[in-house]
Amino acid sequence: MKRLRQAAATGLARWAERRHGRDALPLTVHRRRIYILPTRSGLALGLLLAAMLLAGLNYNSNLGLAFGFLMTSLALVAMHHCHRNLLGLGVDAEPDADGFAGGEVRFAFWLINAAGVERCDIEVRCAGRSRIHTVPAHERQPVVVPVPLTRRGVIRLERFELRTRYPFGWFRAWTYVQAPLTAHGAPRPGGELTPPGSAAASGGGVPAAEPRGEEDFAGLRSYAAGVPLKHMAWKVLARGGEPAVRSYSGLAAQPQWLEWSALTRLDEEGRLSQLCQWVLQSDAAQREYGLRLPGTEIAPSRGLSHRTACLRALAAHPPASTAA
Amino acid sequence: MSATAADGARISFDELLMISGCLALSLIADVAELPVWVTVTVAVSVAIRLARAAQGADAPPRAIRLIVSAVSIGLLFLQLRTFNGLSAGGTLLCLVAGLKILETRTRRDLRVVAMIVYFLSLAMLLQSESFWLFAYLVGVTWLTTSVQLRPTVSPSAGDRRRNLRLAGRLMAQAMPIAIVFWLFFPRLGGPLWQLPDDGRGATSGLGDSMSPGDITDLAMSDEVAFRVRFTAQTPPAEDRYWRGPVLHDFDGRAWTRPEAWRTVYPPLRFHGTAYEYVVSLEPDRHHWIFALDWPSQWNASQAYLTTDYMLMQRSSTMEPVDVIVTSRPLIEPKDPLTPGMRRIDTALPSGRNPRSMRLAQTIHAAHPDALDFVHAVLDMFRHEEFFYTLKPPRLAGDTVDEFLFDSRRGFCGHYASAFAALMRAAGIPARVVTGYHGGTFNRFAGYWIIRQSDAHAWDEVWIEGHGWLRVDPTSMIAPERVERGLNDIVSAGQSVTSRWQQRTPWLGDIRLRLDALRLLWRDRILRFDETSQVRLLELLHIPEPDGRKLVLVLAACLTAGMGWLTWQIRRDLTLRPRDRVERAYATLCRRLAAIGLERAPAEAAEAYAARVASHRPDLAAVVVDLCRRYSDLRYARPPALRTAAAFIVRVRSFRPRGSRASS
Repeated sequence: MKRLRQAAATGLARWAERRHGRDALPLTVHRRRIYILPTRSGLALGLLLAAMLLAGLNYNSNLGLAFGFLMTSLALVAMHHCHRNLLGLGVDAEPDADGFAGGEVRFAFWLINAAGVERCDIEVRCAGRSRIHTVPAHERQPVVVPVPLTRRGVIRLERFELRTRYPFGWFRAWTYVQAPLTAHGAPRPGGELTPPGSAAASGGGVPAAEPRGEEDFAGLRSYAAGVPLKHMAWKVLARGGEPAVRSYSGLAAQPQWLEWSALTRLDEEGRLSQLCQWVLQSDAAQREYGLRLPGTEIAPSRGLSHRTACLRALAAHPPASTAA
Repeated sequence: MSATAADGARISFDELLMISGCLALSLIADVAELPVWVTVTVAVSVAIRLARAAQGADAPPRAIRLIVSAVSIGLLFLQLRTFNGLSAGGTLLCLVAGLKILETRTRRDLRVVAMIVYFLSLAMLLQSESFWLFAYLVGVTWLTTSVQLRPTVSPSAGDRRRNLRLAGRLMAQAMPIAIVFWLFFPRLGGPLWQLPDDGRGATSGLGDSMSPGDITDLAMSDEVAFRVRFTAQTPPAEDRYWRGPVLHDFDGRAWTRPEAWRTVYPPLRFHGTAYEYVVSLEPDRHHWIFALDWPSQWNASQAYLTTDYMLMQRSSTMEPVDVIVTSRPLIEPKDPLTPGMRRIDTALPSGRNPRSMRLAQTIHAAHPDALDFVHAVLDMFRHEEFFYTLKPPRLAGDTVDEFLFDSRRGFCGHYASAFAALMRAAGIPARVVTGYHGGTFNRFAGYWIIRQSDAHAWDEVWIEGHGWLRVDPTSMIAPERVERGLNDIVSAGQSVTSRWQQRTPWLGDIRLRLDALRLLWRDRILRFDETSQVRLLELLHIPEPDGRKLVLVLAACLTAGMGWLTWQIRRDLTLRPRDRVERAYATLCRRLAAIGLERAPAEAAEAYAARVASHRPDLAAVVVDLCRRYSDLRYARPPALRTAAAFIVRVRSFRPRGSRASS
């Protein structure tokens, strides 16, 4: 039964995709893409209303009929309200989300309510997980849907869903947003090997100093996205200058290469786990690092966006079966 | 602010309390019909659940719930022997609702309880005609609906007033469509299947037996027995005797009506003015129709006349009915009294009331003529020390003897009973007629209200050559011998109500107006049926109305209704300032824009006012004042309610004319 329902839902979603095409975000939910059906309690209510009607007719009771019709109309009104709860709602989503295998990936959405009414209990649903949220009038609010990641890899979702059962749960209105979401599942960090560039470094013989932010201050350089917050030159900004970043000349200033080929003794996933661990360690140590994978090379750099790029490269590394 | 599931979500204590309250409110209306132990069971299970919830505990264990449910439902079945029929089903539903509360944990459970509350309300309405019950249950529905409107996650989740307001809006939006349904949904002529006779809904009123003192209870009741509207002439008060059950059998104490009276009535010749009228009966277990003496015509499909001139309904209905009857005040029998009827109407229980029997024989010896004898007995009531009271002493055994010789205090029942017994003792056929006498005229709506307090009993005697004559011995009692009872009542033929009304006329007027509304409710709402629907279609100028056209009209109206609903509901989506002050300011800007002075999107109120003033010096004073008030209300200290109201009123009365430039 459950499988049947799932199949029907997928079929409907595909049909909706053919009907509406792919969507560009942000999207405002148009009435033609809202679907609505009674829920199980709605069907129960339908039976109840039928019973009320029959009883009213049979007992020839005008008051009974009046009450039955009032409830019937209330159900109709509820249907309209349920539909309206989605109508004209704006939605935006972060197309990419990052996480580690064994952890969770957090998809970020925005619900944009331009209308003058509160939109209650809007359910954002993707990859079988959902979060319910209420958006007050004229507000824009974030919703984060955490999806557990079981293994490494890139998961592409073709669509996500907005649903609502408000006001009474008698009806469920929903819409498919045909916009791709990508989950980048980086390998689970692991492995005990020390990163290269310290002991494994070919020349220099300089002992690897754990950088603690105590390196020599080398001067200011202009701001670029992804710089750790504690490196910001807040005083410069406070004086009214352009945003600037303090740069340091440490031992780690030497670019450090994290290489796939250096890890010959591990299996493929083990190598990726180890590389992931190194990326995280290097990032935490604010070293400049680069990543070399078969077919991919990421030039040394640092900062959040660099770290993300490296992790995504690890996630996207073709799995063993297909790589072979 | 986010949650995972809407349906499985645990409900809060507040929600549990509210839904229990709704259930209690709906049960209160039905509590008189419920077995006491059911009420107690429901109350206890609600209390247990609430107590556990207050401690943060969940529903009691499943095993306990199952046992409690099985035992109580089993007990109920043992008591009722059936779950079929409205009262048994309703009782079961109440019990189940209470048991459901015991296990209520999630929103789904909450919705189930709400549905039970809805159905209970319907079950109560099926057997009620009361406007007040209807209004009350709609109120309960409103509350129940509001409990379900609580969002799973919201900053306003606990805001009951918001939920009530929203529920009110939803119900107001549902109302027009409900009315369309109600007006045009085709009604069935009769029931789809036979209804089990519950004996519910039986009202008080005259029964088919009378012992002296019975009518006293009715005299205290203000309940409406029936209403009458005369089509043309109204008969004088002395002819307004509304004929009810005619009683023939006397056992020495009580008068009863024999079972299975023949339906054939003797041929009569009618004389006098014909009075045509519509009797609007309240639902009653009994079949009789209260008609004036003597009914000559009626809708034959609904009623028939018995040998003793009682108008009977063909079937007893639990709905209010209207019957059109014509009566004429005088009759003349074509045939003499049949021996069978003479025997029945002269029969007396042997050995009972010996003193009265002797008295009758003594008077009869002095007045051998039947008509003389009747007058002699009436004279006895008129001249001797007989008193009229609503609080007569209790009589036991031979009631006629005790009344005539010992207490001499009584009500119409005592007099009618004693008179008929004396007549029979002298061999004159006599019978007791119960019914109503008098009534109150509702001058606001032009009809007569006959209340239970107008109940009366009188006699009919057969005099050869005259036929049956109506005699009202109670009317012989002189006014000074009418005793004021504890409640400061009553004189013959005058009800508690009418006296009370004489003292406070304005209160009486209110009562009459209310009763006119009640009649309107009965005629327009309760008695709405296929015929009314046909009339409604005729009113809409639909030629040859029938069931098919009714359905078409229903479909058309529903379509229009749904269109209206869509518009009504979507309207909220378009941006609209909610604040009253904001709305008034928007009105002001709109009116100024209409004369060509539109406000720039980012223009502040005072700058706008200055600009308007420069273009139209004639409006300057008002507009500057209004805009300053607006700025104050918006940005200064918390605005007093009165200044906001003044601003709104002033904006409403501000209607600039002319064009952009001043004249």
